[in-house]
Amino acid sequence: MSPDIESTRPLAFSAQGAVLPSGKGRVIYLRERSLSMLKKEIILKNPLRLIGGEAGHILPSGGFGAVLARAGVGKTAVLVQIALDSLLREINVLHISLDQPVSKVCLWYEEVFNHVGKQYQLTNTNDLWEAILPHRFIMTFNAEGFSIPRLEERITDLTEQGIFYPQVVLVDGLSFDQEVRELLNEMKIVARENNLRVWFAVRTHRDDVTDEQPVPDNFADVADLFDAALQLTPEGSQVLVKPIKTPEELEEKPSLYLDPSSLLIKDGEPGK
Amino acid sequence: MKPDIQKIRNIGISAHIDAGKTTLTERILFYCQKIHSIHDVKGKDGVGATMDFMELEKERGITIASAATFCTWKGHEINIIDTPGHVDFTIEVERSLRVLDGGILVLCSVGGVQSQSITVDRQMARYKVPAVAFVNKCDRSGADPFRVIRQLRDKLGHNAIAIQIPIGLEAKFEGVVDLVSMKALYFDGESGEVIREEEIPANLLEKVEKHREELIDTASMYSDELMEQALEGEVTPAVLMEAIRLGTLERGITPVFMGSAYKNKGVQPLLDGVTKYLPNPGDVQNTAVDLDNNEETVELIADSSKPLTALAFKLEDGRYGQLTYIRVYQGALAKGDTIVNARTGKKVKVGRVARMHADQMEDLDMLHAGTIGALFGVDCASGDTFNHPSLSYSMTSMHVPEPVISLAIQPADNKAQINMSKALNRFTKEDPTFRTKVDPETNETIISGMGELHLEVYVERMRREYAAEVTTGKPQVAYRETITQRAEFNYTHKKQTGGSGQYGRVAGYLEPIVGEDFVFESKIVGGSIPTQYIPAVEKGFASCMEKGALLGYPITGVKIVINDGSSHSVDSSEMAFAAAARGAFRDIYFKTNPAILEPIMKVEVETPPEYQGAVMGLLNQRRGIILGTQDQDTLCFVEAEVPLAEMFGYSTVLRSSTQGKAQFTMEFASYRKAPKGVAEELIEKAALAKKDKSKVA
Repeated sequence: MSPDIESTRPLAFSAQGAVLPSGKGRVIYLRERSLSMLKKEIILKNPLRLIGGEAGHILPSGGFGAVLARAGVGKTAVLVQIALDSLLREINVLHISLDQPVSKVCLWYEEVFNHVGKQYQLTNTNDLWEAILPHRFIMTFNAEGFSIPRLEERITDLTEQGIFYPQVVLVDGLSFDQEVRELLNEMKIVARENNLRVWFAVRTHRDDVTDEQPVPDNFADVADLFDAALQLTPEGSQVLVKPIKTPEELEEKPSLYLDPSSLLIKDGEPGK
Repeated sequence: MKPDIQKIRNIGISAHIDAGKTTLTERILFYCQKIHSIHDVKGKDGVGATMDFMELEKERGITIASAATFCTWKGHEINIIDTPGHVDFTIEVERSLRVLDGGILVLCSVGGVQSQSITVDRQMARYKVPAVAFVNKCDRSGADPFRVIRQLRDKLGHNAIAIQIPIGLEAKFEGVVDLVSMKALYFDGESGEVIREEEIPANLLEKVEKHREELIDTASMYSDELMEQALEGEVTPAVLMEAIRLGTLERGITPVFMGSAYKNKGVQPLLDGVTKYLPNPGDVQNTAVDLDNNEETVELIADSSKPLTALAFKLEDGRYGQLTYIRVYQGALAKGDTIVNARTGKKVKVGRVARMHADQMEDLDMLHAGTIGALFGVDCASGDTFNHPSLSYSMTSMHVPEPVISLAIQPADNKAQINMSKALNRFTKEDPTFRTKVDPETNETIISGMGELHLEVYVERMRREYAAEVTTGKPQVAYRETITQRAEFNYTHKKQTGGSGQYGRVAGYLEPIVGEDFVFESKIVGGSIPTQYIPAVEKGFASCMEKGALLGYPITGVKIVINDGSSHSVDSSEMAFAAAARGAFRDIYFKTNPAILEPIMKVEVETPPEYQGAVMGLLNQRRGIILGTQDQDTLCFVEAEVPLAEMFGYSTVLRSSTQGKAQFTMEFASYRKAPKGVAEELIEKAALAKKDKSKVA
């Protein structure tokens, strides 16, 4: 390092920036500032914030959320966007997939992240990607091999060695067509004990949702355990994102939809 | 006699290490009557498998160089390239894929799709090589070919479809049911050479029907005739076969065969599959660029009567002198022909033409279009194109990854020094990922490659094949430097020391660029720098990229734009402007906030679940980012990205912390900025080393 740069460096350096020797205030390096500004910008523009306070904190600590949709409509894309929002806030996300290998889940993140990059016309996203990567952990299980004790064991493996402390958990691929109440109850205990916010993808079926019965049967049976639920409903060529349950009453009903080309959540009228 | 091109197959056998591809090749050669007895890879009989002809390969039980061999099966000529399974040798795999028309993807029925299979598959996709899969080791405990098919679909995105189903599994594996001919096949005789066709066992009928229906469903996407037959309920084997062939050629279907090469089961039907479903040279479109016509793409026609275009894809130094493996794409290559090397423009007279069978050979008069053979005594490098003197075609360049690790080597004595140079000269010609240079400061010879094992094997080969005794230093990571912010420069180089002076001024800026190593742009208008000096400015800047000021490693990701300057009518020269560029770069480099890039490896560890915690802990200690964990039946896979610098000695530590039950694969992923602490430590070390050197001097 050149001496002129070295001499301007304060002694102590932490992840939050460098602390001045006097202990008052801190220096924010230019690169760090631009990264944090970038993160803030993306977080602020995220339409998910319309659902409940700030996005990523839609759920209370220990709370459950659900993303409901038919197969192929975009549940994983929405889950990944919820995850990205948390990752940008440096909140650790554990992504559990019961039907896709790690490489495929990674691809989802890369795809969604690239689309976000394009949307905000970011030229060099490498730094941002590298900054968020350590906050993500993917676990995949065979659907039949998944159980809460096994998950707890895996989480303990991570936390005991200080490798990873999950704060938000996403569960993708759990079948709600079978009896899941017991599993969800066990999960609730784990979530409360560890202050986790847990999102589930819930696969619904074509005939389950009608105008008279907006909540599908397989979810209605366990809906009491959930604090929030987003339903993805295809209408024509669009997919609407409807909050069917929120922790608090919303003053204004947001109008959200999935952009069909990028599967990113947008607010406003589709196509406008 | 001119061979029927429809009866030629050029195939490669690719797989994860230990999936059994060398054993499979050995069996193929045996059934094609090319060899008369079977030897195992780590053979107790001391003979070793025929394809692994290098002494070292026999010892390690791995295939290092791709040995090309030729055999015939039911009237078809099959050229087989046996490819290495270890990631460190992927250039060999890539080179073989370049010249192949089809591939057999060998998978272990227990291990399934592992990370190396993923790499090999990606390479196959890059060269659009259609493949059939062979699920080997169906006799092993834990064998599940249908799990492997699912993995082929999920992990590799193949439309994998079973062409056979196994009769029994693990110790009870007896044979296979062919879903096309609807016959049960058993393999009798001492080496499974007698195929007994029987009716399908009653207990399998239901399963067979289900899988055949699935097969017809998938294949009917590629044939209307099959679709009609399927609707009428009467599918003929010929129509079904043709539909599968069409799907395979498009890479829309991957037919999956099953068996156990070691137990001599299922190999002959696989050979039938190669002839039925994989393309002949006429099915594949190959192109070259015409160097005489603005590098226009031209299609090569697999016709022996056309003028020759051929590609040298592998060199070997054997007891007969230099052996050049060559694939003829167009025209024919005969003894006594004069051919031209497109890279050097040199004319070469063809002395001997041969067809190789592992380390034995058969002299030929002519190599026809679409075939693979070998030439003797032709001086060329791997990847060179040879043409008829009337053509000036070049086959498109092959993708060659940059080496990530280097090692200093020191010959023991004078004799070793001479032999070492001979060996290095040969290896660098054979393998483009293996590089060598002499460090101007230390005078040490540095070899670079794709991994620890890659270099280790070459050092070992130097000792054995060239009797060059060398001592090696500690492996060094190939770091890079880069700039992270834009900075402007305005530098004048002025010298007046008697005689004619030197004068040149360059101004502009440099900025980071993604995806390129070095980009130079001149925005000079009005002749502030005369046009004839601009290449010298570029050369001056380019020379600075070779060695960064932080650690002395190459600088990448730099865009330099010059937009102003001045010259002197007498004192300006190319030398002065090159010196001005170097001065400008030296001046500005630290203002661009330079950073160190380190190679990051993608590591996949396969472990029993009880050691998953320990495995993750080990990776975490090595600055690894764990991407995820995958629980699969009785095994867990941990995927991580770890800096190469932290991976030295990992295999020993992993073995001792998992009682030898875990194994790992590693491949280069990308270069990434080294964390501040690590970078500072590296810089400090480099400065100390420099100080020590200057003290010694």
